[in-house]
Amino acid sequence: MFDSSRTAIAEAAPTGGEVDLAFVDATIERLGRSADRVIPILQALQDHYRYLPRPALERVCASTEITPAAITSVSTFYSQFRHRPMGEHIISVCHGTACHVKGAPLVQAAFERQLGIADGDDTDAEGRFTVQKVACLGCCTLAPVVQIDEVTYGGLTSRRVAETLDDFLKHANGAAGQRPPARQQPVERPLGEIRIGLDSCCIAQGTGKVHAAVEQVLTEWGAPAAVKKVGCVVMCHQTPLLEIAPAAGKERLYARVREEDVMEIVLRHFRPKGLVRRARYAATRWLDRLLTDEREDPAASLRVDRRDGAICAFLGPQRHLATEGWGRVDPMDIDEHLAGGGFVALKRCLTELAPEAIIEAITASGLRGRGGAGFPTGEKWARAASAEGSPKYVICNGDEGDPGAFMNRMLLESFPYRIIEGLAIAALAVGAEEGYFYIRAEYPTAVERIAAALEECRRRGFLGENAFGSGRRLHISLKQGAGAFVCGEETALIASIEGRRGTPRLRPPFPSEKGLWGQPTVVNNVETLALAAWILRHGAAEFVTMGTKESKGTKVFALAGKVRRGGLIEVPMGVSLREIVDEIGGGMVPGRRFKAVQVGGPSGGCVPAALSDTPVDFEALTGAGAIMGSGGLVVLDDADCMVDIARYFLSFTQDQSCGKCTFCRIGTRRMLDILDRLCAGRGTQGDLESLESLAFSVGSASLCGLGRTAPNPVLSTLHHFRDEYQAHIEGRCPAGRCPALVRYRINEQCIGCTLCAQACPVGAIPFTPYARHEVIDEQCTRCDNCRAACPVGAVEIA
Amino acid sequence: MPTITIDGRAIDVPAGTTVLEAAERLGIEIPSLCHLKGCDPSTSCLVCVVRISGTSRVLPSCATRIEDGMAVESETEAVHALRRTALELLLSDHVGDCLAPCYFMCPAHMDIPLMLRQIGREEIREAIATVKRDIALPAVLGRVCSKPCEKGCRRAPADGAVAVCDLKRFVAEEDLATGEPYLPEVAAPSGKRVAVVGGGPAGLAAAYYLVQAGHAVDLFEREPLLGGRLRSEFSEEQLPAEILDAELESLLAVGIEVHTGAAVATADDFEQLRREFDALLVATGAAAARDAGGWGLAVAARGIDVERTTYQTNLPAVFAAGNALRGKGMVVRSVADGKEAAWSIHRVLSEGGGPLSEKPFSVRMGKVAPDQLGGFLVHAGTAPRQEADGGAAEYSLTEAVSQAERCLGCGCRAHCGCRLERYASRYGADPNRYGASRRPYEVLTQHAQIVYEPGKCIACELCIQIAARGGEPLGLAFVGRGFDVRVAVPFDRSLEEALSKVAAECVAACPTAALSFKAEPFKSALPILGQ
Repeated sequence: MFDSSRTAIAEAAPTGGEVDLAFVDATIERLGRSADRVIPILQALQDHYRYLPRPALERVCASTEITPAAITSVSTFYSQFRHRPMGEHIISVCHGTACHVKGAPLVQAAFERQLGIADGDDTDAEGRFTVQKVACLGCCTLAPVVQIDEVTYGGLTSRRVAETLDDFLKHANGAAGQRPPARQQPVERPLGEIRIGLDSCCIAQGTGKVHAAVEQVLTEWGAPAAVKKVGCVVMCHQTPLLEIAPAAGKERLYARVREEDVMEIVLRHFRPKGLVRRARYAATRWLDRLLTDEREDPAASLRVDRRDGAICAFLGPQRHLATEGWGRVDPMDIDEHLAGGGFVALKRCLTELAPEAIIEAITASGLRGRGGAGFPTGEKWARAASAEGSPKYVICNGDEGDPGAFMNRMLLESFPYRIIEGLAIAALAVGAEEGYFYIRAEYPTAVERIAAALEECRRRGFLGENAFGSGRRLHISLKQGAGAFVCGEETALIASIEGRRGTPRLRPPFPSEKGLWGQPTVVNNVETLALAAWILRHGAAEFVTMGTKESKGTKVFALAGKVRRGGLIEVPMGVSLREIVDEIGGGMVPGRRFKAVQVGGPSGGCVPAALSDTPVDFEALTGAGAIMGSGGLVVLDDADCMVDIARYFLSFTQDQSCGKCTFCRIGTRRMLDILDRLCAGRGTQGDLESLESLAFSVGSASLCGLGRTAPNPVLSTLHHFRDEYQAHIEGRCPAGRCPALVRYRINEQCIGCTLCAQACPVGAIPFTPYARHEVIDEQCTRCDNCRAACPVGAVEIA
Repeated sequence: MPTITIDGRAIDVPAGTTVLEAAERLGIEIPSLCHLKGCDPSTSCLVCVVRISGTSRVLPSCATRIEDGMAVESETEAVHALRRTALELLLSDHVGDCLAPCYFMCPAHMDIPLMLRQIGREEIREAIATVKRDIALPAVLGRVCSKPCEKGCRRAPADGAVAVCDLKRFVAEEDLATGEPYLPEVAAPSGKRVAVVGGGPAGLAAAYYLVQAGHAVDLFEREPLLGGRLRSEFSEEQLPAEILDAELESLLAVGIEVHTGAAVATADDFEQLRREFDALLVATGAAAARDAGGWGLAVAARGIDVERTTYQTNLPAVFAAGNALRGKGMVVRSVADGKEAAWSIHRVLSEGGGPLSEKPFSVRMGKVAPDQLGGFLVHAGTAPRQEADGGAAEYSLTEAVSQAERCLGCGCRAHCGCRLERYASRYGADPNRYGASRRPYEVLTQHAQIVYEPGKCIACELCIQIAARGGEPLGLAFVGRGFDVRVAVPFDRSLEEALSKVAAECVAACPTAALSFKAEPFKSALPILGQ
């Protein structure tokens, strides 16, 4: 009936041939026939066919309880599902906040240009590449980031697009190249361990290659060290990071390690075994230095110390509760987790503590939900515990979708057992025997590790019919999201688990009374559960020593944007934004001015530099026009346009609106229309007033939190940076960001080197060797290549 | 039983009652588009919002269950403003015309679609009544009108506008030819007397409608013959005297006291008329401005200065219409002025005054690209446009019918039955508040009985729920999400198959005309503007 490319259900297989339906039948056999199986079935089909062929969907309807209406509405709701064939490779361009401010739109345009993809299409003519925009890959500190199939490239610019494609095609099986074969035999009596962070973002930064090199060196030289794959190393700005931990002696940290540095580092600490190898090593070193004319010891120059100024500043103000053991523990090693005090709290809850006592401890700790709204966790649990109805459920909300946030991914990937423990404790507290992890499909590593960790817990009898031998039932299973930010809203998340479109419903009734399948249900954020486990192990009294009057404990943030040191940080509540930016983040790069911190992502707001003494505290941040949110902190400098930032967030929420209620579905679109006009230089007097009034209506009358908070980025920037909005109405973009309002020109410092002309992808700069170059404005696409290419800074934005 | 208050009025209601239901019991009508008894609240339109007093909480009343002690605000300006915004947002994405563009293009706002349907059914007697409801001189205008209505015709960019003007003349001349032309009903005498000065198109039209309203009318014309500029501006070929005279005769038959050769020449004459009559209309044409100053009437650049919505001059009970205030204008404009001034005078005489009714509420989609007209053309007659010259090339009845059937029926089938229209009009919603670019117009007509216009859908979910509940094997589904969400048939199958059992229920539940019956085209005649 409709011919929209996103939603039209494809008629036939790409080749026009028959779709092999045996896979459909096998999938149904494996996953079940009930109506709630629709999302897992669609995910399996999508994985297999790389899109959803209509005959396959019809087959599903014919042989399950899933109706044509259900499969249509669900498969067109979630952005993971495609209804038309896609290219051989997928280029996912991250449009998270950090990527946006670092030029993601230019990068995407450059890919499309390079591949000759027509307007309104997403795949090149030969069907080799499909370019898609993704909300956030959660690698914010490497921005801007793209993922080509499984390979992640960070720090891209539009100039590097061609070489990136070349690199990908050269290693067409690039993903495999990043996964080294592990040594068959574990090392006997290792003299220490080499810790390598292998979270998604570390891999994106090249840690995979470093890991491969380490394994190779160890194998080749027979060095007596064990390799330990640890979780997040939190200092994203220092990755790839290697930590050498000798069995006896001091730990050593090496930052920004390249493949070629590995041998030097490893062999310096773990001298090869056997006389022959040692002699060969000495000879190799001697020769290398001779050939490369290297005076310094490269390994030494990469070495950093946890007591170094920068590292101290970064780590100093932090307290690691949810992230306890970062960079040291192997996420999948359950024994190590047990040795570090893991599951102690759960065992106590199973054997010693009554549900009331668990809830009392959580209430006493003052723990508030870390997903954004800050609802007291103890009260939520108490409500569900006292609600009528059985069975009850607990759900871990791992649908972190805010662009600019990756805390939950990190916690799930690095501390899967800790989160499982937290969820199991919640289940005991409220009287539930069943729990779910709901994790977004964009986090494959998190999904993989939680699944494996759950399996391990079941294998050991920690979960199951008789958890820890207590006689109690505790079953936890895993559900994957399918690409819908709104599913972070608890009622939408529940709808999604039930196999429906992820549309929220009016609360009350709250899930604690009527949740999953109409039963009392607790939905908690990942970080909340990690802290709950910590509190039950260390006691509420310890927890309340940190924080402010109303906000206790710590908060994990993803610090990204224009700071020098980005990373995953955990700070006690009450530290100021300024401390985070200046001390932990190390301030701006030289020459740039700190302008604002975007706190709380698309539901939050921009706190201007002048208010950066605002402490990290639920109420204080709300007072400053932002919200605590789930923990994205994106630092902005004077090159960032606040109107563009507001437009960016609104286009995100607009794109993610479920479309149910008028205010969000149409209201956010009309707000975006106004912001688009402003950024295109077509704003008129009165636009700001219309925008403000519409923002007020959308914020007060939308059905769910997504709509109600969607205007925050607009309202906070309008409040603090109204002069910038006014400038746009007058046709100026003070930060020089809005393409329609800026022009590129080349000033008299031009030396006529032609680099800019070579860099221009559209021929807007004629070659005039040895003479001052000129930009033809009508042809200029504002891709910024020329400015990046100019060796003398002669290209300026006016 | 729990007690709640709505706008300060207390009511006891059983637990589990919604705020909407409680308000209904208090006689407060909270508007709602997506709510239907028997269906789950879809909380989609949010037009039914209320505010919980003393908080900033705004909730949809259809799904909010009452709690003891709850204090609700419904009829406050703040709540109304939110409802208005919800309506304006829905209207900003609502593609269609409540009323056909020809209705707005015609200065007299004649109900052209109704006339065309009546001609199509060969109901010429009904058609002339429709015409003369708004146009006092249709045979004349059938020859001299500059046809603004046809410029607005949706069919114009496809294969030529419907020949509205020629069809109107056909109706009028058929009527005159019967020898017993249509005579409208006249209201009981009001006991009021009105003097109309000037027997041109404006004066004649005003007199015609004033008499129908029950007032005694004396018409003063300085020339020996009535007609004013109709006798000077057009050649015999353009407007044969025979036609003009026949039409005048039929018009005067309602009972107008005519005084020809009776010039109102001096200020004294004018004052005398004012004393003698309860109201006075100056319709002396372009020359009026010359005399008016002397009579004490305020004069503007083009003619007598009046209050534009009431035709009231600066003098009490004195009105002016037609070229007397415009200097130069279309004849149809003068006829329209005469009608509107008549209703304004009637209002003063019967109710002591008040403004004329405003233009009726209507969403208007403006220009429609020719390639989007397909859906309209499906139902319309396929005859090419054929013009009639009033002479040898006159329409036969068959030709008139096939010309009338060319009408695309582009006004909305749900006009007067549409809840969005009703509430938008009640809350003063401006359909153009958010001047957004609209999506293309689409109409799907494959179903035997039902028309689906996706652009009019407000995603209320009722049809989806009804189909699911009614056990439709295929049913309907939301496709896509966010701003692009649409109601569609799964797997691109037909609407016929989707709604094999509950089609009628879905049409009845649809709050707009997204789903409507083909066979039940229009629920009501269009309003008389000014009455």
